[in-house]
Amino acid sequence: MATIDGSSIKKLIVACDAGMGSSVMLASSLKKQLAKNGVTVEHSAVAQIPSDADLVFTQAGLADRARHTVPDVPVVPFQLFLGDPAVAKIVKAIQNGDSFEV
Amino acid sequence: MADEATPALTDLIAPTSIRLTETATDKFDAIRKVGAALLDTGAIDASYIDAMIERENTISTFVGEGVAIPHGTLAGKDAVKTDALVVLRFPDGIDWDGNEVVVCVGIAARGNGHIALLSQLATVLMEPEKAAALRAATTSDEVYALLAPEEEDSA
Repeated sequence: MATIDGSSIKKLIVACDAGMGSSVMLASSLKKQLAKNGVTVEHSAVAQIPSDADLVFTQAGLADRARHTVPDVPVVPFQLFLGDPAVAKIVKAIQNGDSFEV
Repeated sequence: MADEATPALTDLIAPTSIRLTETATDKFDAIRKVGAALLDTGAIDASYIDAMIERENTISTFVGEGVAIPHGTLAGKDAVKTDALVVLRFPDGIDWDGNEVVVCVGIAARGNGHIALLSQLATVLMEPEKAAALRAATTSDEVYALLAPEEEDSA
């Protein structure tokens, strides 16, 4: 567990296996939710996550691979594309500049 | 800020790739039908269908609101010749690991030409009325209208 300051998140990556479908959909909805907070949201294949990311969202089954790609970046696994509670909590923390645990 | 020309919606989803009265015995049957529709467009080699099955076995492509987005793996990308999407509707619904899926949006992509369309799909799914309209669509015009990117630079 680590505590992260929501206002320190500037680059958020949504990763999926191929970077073709699933990550695109979540990234596009997060982009809209976080546009006002100066957060760059990008999608990526899990093997190609950029190392300058501040935070990574990925499907639960891919979290280990994501951590392997970027060992120094916090990785948040999610289950649902729409309305995942883990994602919603962090989006709210970033919007409010609160800290959150990963 | 498109980094490449965004293809017209009807280029990405051919009219013949919108099939609204499909049936399937289970989710893998549905994925094979989605794969067959992609194959019909000429966008993929047949091996991509196996990559779609493999991907589904690893992680479900169910995205909520009765929609799944079957697609291949990173390794399967070599079997993709051009970007193409297909929309298959299964009016009777398919059991997708305990969720019901009515609409499958099949994806074959090499580049980023389909990003705006998937973004619009995400928007549709976040609005329950639009998601219901997609599940109930009986004409390709309705599908096109729902999935047309309504982004800032629609030039």
